[in-house]
Amino acid sequence: MRKHKVRLSGIYLGLVLLFIYLPIGFVAVYSFNESSSTAVWKGFSLKWYQALFQDASMAEALKNSLLLGVISCLAAAVIGTMGAMGLIKANARAKGVMEYIATLPIMIPEIILGMVFMAFFAVLRLPFGMATLALAHTAFCVPYILTMVKARLAGMDPALEEAAMDLGASPARTFFDITLPLVTPAVLSGSLLAFAMSLDDVVISIFVNGPKINTLPVKVYTQMKFGVTPEINALCTIMLAITLLALAGYSLIRRVRVFDKKKEV
Amino acid sequence: MEMRRKWMGITLTVCLAASCLLSGCGGKEKGELEDSRELVLYTWDSMFPQEVLDSFEEETGIQVIYSNFDTDETMLEKLAQADGGDYDLVIADDYIIESVIEEGLAQKLDKSKIKNFENINPLYQGQFYDENDEYTVPYGAGIPLIVYDPEAVDFEIKGYEDLWNENLKDSVALTANYRVINGITLLSMGKSMNEEDASVIEEAGEKLKALAPNVRMIQDDNTQNALLNGEASVAFLYTSQVTKVLSENPDLKVVYPEEGLGFGIMAGFVPSNAPDADAAHQFLDYILQPETGAKCFDEIGYYSTNAKSDEFLENSDLAVPDSVSKGEIIQNVSEEADAAYNKNWTEFRAACD
Amino acid sequence: MRRKWNRWTFTLAPLYVFTLLFVVGPLLYMVAISFASNKEGYGVIWRFTAENYKKIFDPVYLETFRQSLKLAFTSALSIMLLGYPFGYFMARLNSRWKNRLMLLLLIPFWVNSLIRLYGWIIILQTKGALNGVLLNLGLIEEPLKMLYSYPAVLLGMIYTLLPFMILSVYSSAEKMDWSLVEAARDLGANEIQAFCSVTFKMTLPGLLSGMILTFIPSMGLFFIADILGGNKIVLVGSLIQDQMTRGSNWPFAAALAVALTILTTLIIYLYRRITHVSELEGLY
Repeated sequence: MRKHKVRLSGIYLGLVLLFIYLPIGFVAVYSFNESSSTAVWKGFSLKWYQALFQDASMAEALKNSLLLGVISCLAAAVIGTMGAMGLIKANARAKGVMEYIATLPIMIPEIILGMVFMAFFAVLRLPFGMATLALAHTAFCVPYILTMVKARLAGMDPALEEAAMDLGASPARTFFDITLPLVTPAVLSGSLLAFAMSLDDVVISIFVNGPKINTLPVKVYTQMKFGVTPEINALCTIMLAITLLALAGYSLIRRVRVFDKKKEV
Repeated sequence: MEMRRKWMGITLTVCLAASCLLSGCGGKEKGELEDSRELVLYTWDSMFPQEVLDSFEEETGIQVIYSNFDTDETMLEKLAQADGGDYDLVIADDYIIESVIEEGLAQKLDKSKIKNFENINPLYQGQFYDENDEYTVPYGAGIPLIVYDPEAVDFEIKGYEDLWNENLKDSVALTANYRVINGITLLSMGKSMNEEDASVIEEAGEKLKALAPNVRMIQDDNTQNALLNGEASVAFLYTSQVTKVLSENPDLKVVYPEEGLGFGIMAGFVPSNAPDADAAHQFLDYILQPETGAKCFDEIGYYSTNAKSDEFLENSDLAVPDSVSKGEIIQNVSEEADAAYNKNWTEFRAACD
Repeated sequence: MRRKWNRWTFTLAPLYVFTLLFVVGPLLYMVAISFASNKEGYGVIWRFTAENYKKIFDPVYLETFRQSLKLAFTSALSIMLLGYPFGYFMARLNSRWKNRLMLLLLIPFWVNSLIRLYGWIIILQTKGALNGVLLNLGLIEEPLKMLYSYPAVLLGMIYTLLPFMILSVYSSAEKMDWSLVEAARDLGANEIQAFCSVTFKMTLPGLLSGMILTFIPSMGLFFIADILGGNKIVLVGSLIQDQMTRGSNWPFAAALAVALTILTTLIIYLYRRITHVSELEGLY
């Protein structure tokens, strides 16, 4: 009976995942298409990958995007995690309002946000470049991390921390030994999502980027205006492949470790 | 109390580290500046063949930094925020250049530095946005045209009016510029694309709504794909899209609508506070060379605006057709008229669903 | 009785400072623009007017709000039907599979969202994969015109926003105390009764936050209406986009955005009243 149920839910999970990966699969397949049109299959070809590797500006844009994603995620992780703890534990005025405002950047249409960010940075006389990009991206990365960590903390048993402190641990010690390990999964998944959002953002970046900085999504988007070339499909396929490989490697290492631990238990 | 101080210390350290990272990146950017001369070119993506940029860099030693925008409006706003600085050369559409010049964000060209200025086809000079040709060098012209698949359409399409034909139910693809689509409706009524009369615009709105059942899709980017993949049998396309669609499927038929043509010109200008205006002039002069120009027009698929380039074009269709002189350019209209056009457009799209 | 400060208060500092500087500041600017006058051609004139807000009540634009709300509601509801069971089943897996599934859900975000939508075009276009399969199976004789329609836009919305629903339902179900369900069963409730009286109630916050997270963006994701809908369905987001670009009427665009923000705020307020929780669960 139980096994039967597991199998049914497994099928459901599998089907939905198929739905999520289906279009991505087609994108990957058509990155090997000889023709640039998606309406016909003219045979296998690697020419779009070749074109991609010859495109130095693409690599530069990718580098900028990764750097930007890391900077804004780190900043957002610090602000978001500390903020989430404060929101749960501190007594401060206007907590609710502040939290609501902090999450607005992902509620407001991007194009408006991009425009007001640009105007605002101009008022502050900040030079447009990596710094303005990072500030804008941090603003919309914070909500993801803040809410994930907060949800995690809200479900956490405060007795754990109290017990540690009762036993004489300093707040810093309590934080690093008890709280941090407990919220780490939430911080990580929030950061992963925030990183992905940063890596996908076009509209805001177009407004706040500097004259000499191009991010990958901006490059891809402005190029797509002139036709979706399979070169972009190829790029996405490569990025996906790298992510999947990294994850496979990671889970392999972990499995070995978990296996070792199991032996201990 | 002590604890709190310790915590403050940690927070401060983290904040400091973060700000160092931020400023560190900013600093690197500036460091690169001093190395050599740079030309910051600001335009849409894919507006120049890589080989032209490369050879310019080789000949002059000036490094080209290609910066993209997505729409003319983004460009204008960024240029305004930078007070006409940051960028050395901008290439954009006619109507926005009018605003750029009005806002004082462009500088007059020093024609003594552009020997090839005389190569420009006079047809594209003296236009509304720069009547005395003081600020701009045209770079490519477009005439949106109707293209259709003769196998899927059983009558001959001659003009805009035919788009309303009831045999074309759910099979017309349109570009998504509200002024252009309002404009061709007006042309089909025998009016000007820049009509200011409120009652005429309203009439055009009604007529436009009647087109809704025939509309398959409205899209600005890659509209030509609708013809190629069989989504639509008739399409109203920008010039670069016409060029692209014909190279993929030469059997398609191109129509120069009998009611009249609308056309648009793209042009380059030097922002008022360009960091290196000299480099911009050099670049303009470079792309005005007959053969270089031809390479560029072949790449972007727009009509050549350089009279001397015409003979070097690989795609001879891109040399100016005689009919172009009859074209009308969409210009900025009064705020009331513009609001009315916007309203027509929203109503039209809602009616399409 | 209320303690004013405790040792956690200062952890709020970075959030408060950042939010006040880089979120409140820009937002105030947005509100300011929404009351400014539009300048002919380009830019704004700083002359107070409420005209932009009046314009929203023009029947054309009200209709856009209505259509947009309808679509947002339909897509949020469909996403719920599809995503709730997923989040629920996921929470019942062992931790190794939980992590795997979480990653599998997050990875697609790494692929450019426009590209993912183009993947759907490959599938749905008249000469596309789905029509090919259906033709070969003999289920249809003529290829179907599936793109550029209401269902296509709905599909795009579901596809883009589904993970948000799944993750918020999941985080709610994952925290749940399953012994309560067992207790209910022990007390004689059947499976369905136990689900309704315990599980559903306990996952309601996650479900509702999922609804909000999918409902609100559905009004703004104009590029889905563009790519899969051929721009024939006008969302509030498309309207704002139009006004910001070719329409070049920023004050009106800002007013639309303020209206949308107010609408959003109302929805969140209602959510808090209904669920009595002060935080949205799971992801935003």
